[in-house]
Amino acid sequence: MRRHTWPRAYSGSQRPLDPFLCCLLVPLSRFLWDHGDIAFAPLGKLMLENFKLEGARSRSKKKTVVSVKSLLQDLGGHQPWGCPWAFLSYRQRRFSIIGGPVLGKSVASLLGALLHEELAMRWEQLLLDDAFTGGALAWVPGRTPQVGQLVYPAGGALDTLCFQEVRLPPGSDPQALGDPGHIRLRGPVRQVVTRTVQGESLLAVRSDYHCALWKVSKQGRAAPLQVLQVGKGATGISLSPHLPGELAVCSRSGAVCLWTPQDGLQQVYKDPETLVFCDPSPWRWADFTAHPRVLTVGDRTGVKIIDTQGPPGCGLLLFRGGAEASCRRGERVLLTQYLGECGPEPQLPTLHLICTQFSLYLVDERLPLVPMLKWEHNLPSAPLWARLLPPPCPGCPRPLLLGGQGGHLQLLHLAGEGASAPRLAGPPQSLPSSSDSLSAFPLLEPKSQWRLQERLKAPTIGLAATIPSSASEPVLSLFQLSAAGDVFHQHLHLQADPGPHSRAPTASWTPQATACCSRWLKALLDVPPTPPVWAAPTFSHRRLLGCMEQRKVEQKGPEGLRAAMAAGRLLRQQDVGSPPSAGPPPAPEPGPEDELSARLEAAWEGRMAAWWERQQGRSSGPGRQPKRRKRRTQLSSTFSSLSGRLDLSDATSPPHSPDRASPEARPRPPVTPPSQESTQELWARGVPSERQQTLRDYMARLPLRGDAPRGVSSPLSGTSSVRATRSRPQTLQDGTAELPPRRNTRRGAAVSSSQTSSVWATPSRQQALRKKPRMGF
Amino acid sequence: MSDFSEELIRPKTEDDQEESCVFSGTGMSFPWLQKHIGTVATGGKKEKDFAQTTNACLSFIQEALLKHQWQQAAEFMHSYFQILEDSDSHKRQAAPEIIWKLGSEILFYHPKSNVETFNTFADRMKNIGVLNYLKISLQHALYLLHHGMLEDANRNLSHAETWRYGEKSSSQEVLINLIQAYKGLLQYYTWSKKKMELSTLDEDDYAYNTASQNMLNHSWKTSVNLCALIQTPGVWDPFVKSYVEMLEFYGDQDGAREVLTNYAYDEKFPSNPNAHIYLYNFLKREKAPREKLISVLKILYQIVPSHKLMLEFHRLLRKSEKEDHHKLGLEVLFGVLDFAGCTKNITAWKYLAKYLRQTLMGNHLAWVQEEWNSRKNWWPGFHFSSFWAKSDWKEDKALACEKALVAGILLGKGCRYFRFISKQDDEVLRKKIKRIKKSVKKHSIVNPGL
Repeated sequence: MRRHTWPRAYSGSQRPLDPFLCCLLVPLSRFLWDHGDIAFAPLGKLMLENFKLEGARSRSKKKTVVSVKSLLQDLGGHQPWGCPWAFLSYRQRRFSIIGGPVLGKSVASLLGALLHEELAMRWEQLLLDDAFTGGALAWVPGRTPQVGQLVYPAGGALDTLCFQEVRLPPGSDPQALGDPGHIRLRGPVRQVVTRTVQGESLLAVRSDYHCALWKVSKQGRAAPLQVLQVGKGATGISLSPHLPGELAVCSRSGAVCLWTPQDGLQQVYKDPETLVFCDPSPWRWADFTAHPRVLTVGDRTGVKIIDTQGPPGCGLLLFRGGAEASCRRGERVLLTQYLGECGPEPQLPTLHLICTQFSLYLVDERLPLVPMLKWEHNLPSAPLWARLLPPPCPGCPRPLLLGGQGGHLQLLHLAGEGASAPRLAGPPQSLPSSSDSLSAFPLLEPKSQWRLQERLKAPTIGLAATIPSSASEPVLSLFQLSAAGDVFHQHLHLQADPGPHSRAPTASWTPQATACCSRWLKALLDVPPTPPVWAAPTFSHRRLLGCMEQRKVEQKGPEGLRAAMAAGRLLRQQDVGSPPSAGPPPAPEPGPEDELSARLEAAWEGRMAAWWERQQGRSSGPGRQPKRRKRRTQLSSTFSSLSGRLDLSDATSPPHSPDRASPEARPRPPVTPPSQESTQELWARGVPSERQQTLRDYMARLPLRGDAPRGVSSPLSGTSSVRATRSRPQTLQDGTAELPPRRNTRRGAAVSSSQTSSVWATPSRQQALRKKPRMGF
Repeated sequence: MSDFSEELIRPKTEDDQEESCVFSGTGMSFPWLQKHIGTVATGGKKEKDFAQTTNACLSFIQEALLKHQWQQAAEFMHSYFQILEDSDSHKRQAAPEIIWKLGSEILFYHPKSNVETFNTFADRMKNIGVLNYLKISLQHALYLLHHGMLEDANRNLSHAETWRYGEKSSSQEVLINLIQAYKGLLQYYTWSKKKMELSTLDEDDYAYNTASQNMLNHSWKTSVNLCALIQTPGVWDPFVKSYVEMLEFYGDQDGAREVLTNYAYDEKFPSNPNAHIYLYNFLKREKAPREKLISVLKILYQIVPSHKLMLEFHRLLRKSEKEDHHKLGLEVLFGVLDFAGCTKNITAWKYLAKYLRQTLMGNHLAWVQEEWNSRKNWWPGFHFSSFWAKSDWKEDKALACEKALVAGILLGKGCRYFRFISKQDDEVLRKKIKRIKKSVKKHSIVNPGL
């Protein structure tokens, strides 16, 4: 059995299908599904003369014309994803020969370019996903210090903004009060920022192409103020600590804007180039400084201070990735943050935090370029969020939390106020991450254990912390949002100077935390695992059925089996009938001129292209055609018998090969095609008017029609309909199962422990955000 | 795939001491990807077992340090010493520095560690990585200083000062300068202690002469030690300060002025507000003319308009005869109050209220308007919102009154801040509020005709 060629991205090497290629096929097949009209319509037009649209029986003499009706019949028996190993009829074979040269070139080159773009983007994302810089979790303080709201995105596409009220009773675990409120947004939420300025709590949200501002009332209700569209894509948003409702927004184009709901947008800076040296990253960041009209503008190479009222283009470099800060080679800025808070007595009013992949710098805006403090954080993932908290007790150093994408957390203590330079008080400390809590869960069976582990390993996308100023003992409450939709909580107690002989504090779970986590775990394991995104195709059912029916006539297998089972006796050879012959499928007989071996030989010697040219020229000649046809039929019958046998045995045997998915592997439910109407119109264009009606009829019968299950549409397929209905409801279950456990766990409330994280969850965020591929138009 | 991964691995330059890092096509390095594509990085060959073990050991040490498990870190460190015998010369050379960094941190916090252990460790390490001798010596001295052992620290620095290895490279020179400067700083410390003693002694005392002689010797040594460092560009605040103090004490005013001027105005040095502050304080002590002081503070004003010396600057400008100095005086006050950290500075508000009235009485409405124009769209929200009116009145009534006056002058009677304060009924401040109302009526720049 020969593997069919799949449109290849590049003239790359002839490697076997490796896992990477598999994940490469996903965006490609998505593209073909989502934009089938773009991918195939022009070719359809080109090949119009090779198709016979009327379903008339009259056989055309021309071998280059294929009847669409029979072609569709053949295709109709296919699984939607059935391509590489699909069964082939001679008609399809003919179709592929006619279409081969066209399909091979234009589609491959078009898709190749798009795929390359997509791959480059994915590669960048794999190296560093900076979309969530700043974090998508925020703590909005409430009326009393013990009550507040957590604001975070939820849902598969992260497009629902949740407001969960949480109470932090002193000395015990936090409690979620009621169900979270929801606001549905149009895009995925990337960053949530909150700030209380002059008694007014504001909430800013950054999505890929939109930014929005809410005002949170004292009662905790959010009222929308304004929405802003950012054409080139927003990379950062920050709220002013000085003026209520003022925002700094930066876009991929290199522009930085000040934005107030009253005065609208004011562009204060624009430079598509990076500050210090050339870096291709379009990431930009802006934050405020001690002067309400002066902003910091950062990119990967450095940070600059700009006066929004001064002439454009001028400014002073605050930080430069270079010798002054003794940066390493390849060191880049990942996050900059203004540490001064507009409190009654601002403590570090001129300090800025700058994080790179290696170190953390504290820079004073009065003394630019020379960092006041440098510390190597050695985080094993990109540090994309930092939170500076008020001192837990008067005179104490201020805790600074640094969070990495992999869930890694570090706690530093910043001392030094007023005139003295900032310094670290005591050695920095790493805090337990969510995946560290795995050991606290009971041991599960391997599969469940693996799922739990994967779930806990999901990357972090947000960090929030607060110190509820209660009377007795200061406690630091820390929340982490994972990409799977779980919120992890840990709270840290302030220890009096531990002294030289004290042991490191141990992390522990309270009984409530344990209970909550076991509820969460149960809900997690209740949800059936999501089907793989891409499954290898299965074989044609129609052909298989043909075989089955034939066999039914001549075999007494099933009856014998049933009888044997009913009697409870040993199944003997004669009960089942003749055993399926083992061994490889009969190889096509080598003809006098075996094309396949010739081609393989040519390919082996590296003269494939020449062979192809020769073949092209020969096959168009009239004399070759009958012979070729004969061979095709031979081959296809081999296929059909093979597939029949394989499928018959699958009731008892495991999947045939690891390479191929088992027949149990459910294909993804077909994505609803982009409006059928528009595709039809596209097809119809350029088609002679008298043929259009016929064409429409055929279009209506295309397997793309999601509402007519294939199994039902073909009446002769007994088993196939069984299989189809078996797979459908399961995928539906996946969808519905999402809802009930979520509610349960949510009500199950927040949990905590004295030092370890605990979880609280939305058990099923299916398949992290299925973003529309960027290659779309 | 292949071209991506090739992009990823770039040959290292030989000065890269650290672990080979993963670079993307953009030149950015990704330390955390090292683990995932370790085999790609080594060109398909698997890392040697030894390298794998030492790497794992290193990460265990780092983890233990971050979890404050000093005991455990020390145990891992014990095993990590083996890296000194690595066959990879790059790694072998980089190892002593890593061991020193982590080891000194462990010994600093380890419950059972003491100064002797640390000394032994430092001395050992100095000689293992010959190239790190100076760096380790300096850090060793700082450790001793931290534990109050000045004598030992001084001895240590003296040893390091005379140490040479091969040709004197530029990096060595900077380190030697730094070591000398720290030695100088230590000498300054003893000197200033002696100065304190001397001030308690009587001039006719027998001991006085010997003591002053002692001090003279010290000063000479110190100046040699300090001046080399001070001339290289950088931020050397404590060294400059102590050097100048000694020069001043011995009457070398010109030398001190030269050092400070150089430190403040040399373009090679990074912009440093402290340099200007030191120069200003020196000139003030010298009783320099007002013009001179103003010119120094003008530069400081450009660097840090929020500095507390700005109020002094304002006073100087106010006293000056020049008209443009008066104008600058107003600018400085507005500039100070622009900053978040200065919003509650009652002196600044008091000055502004007073100076606004004065300026307006002097018929310089244009000056005020010029300053106000760039601030009128954000000062009302920043300073004069009703939130601040309420909270200022609650916390500091005097501040609220000054601010109300300024608000009234700049925004008119209708402004929220002024209205709120003027409506307050307070026994003590009734008279003052009445005066404010009168002033506002007279001076407000809104509708000046009325």
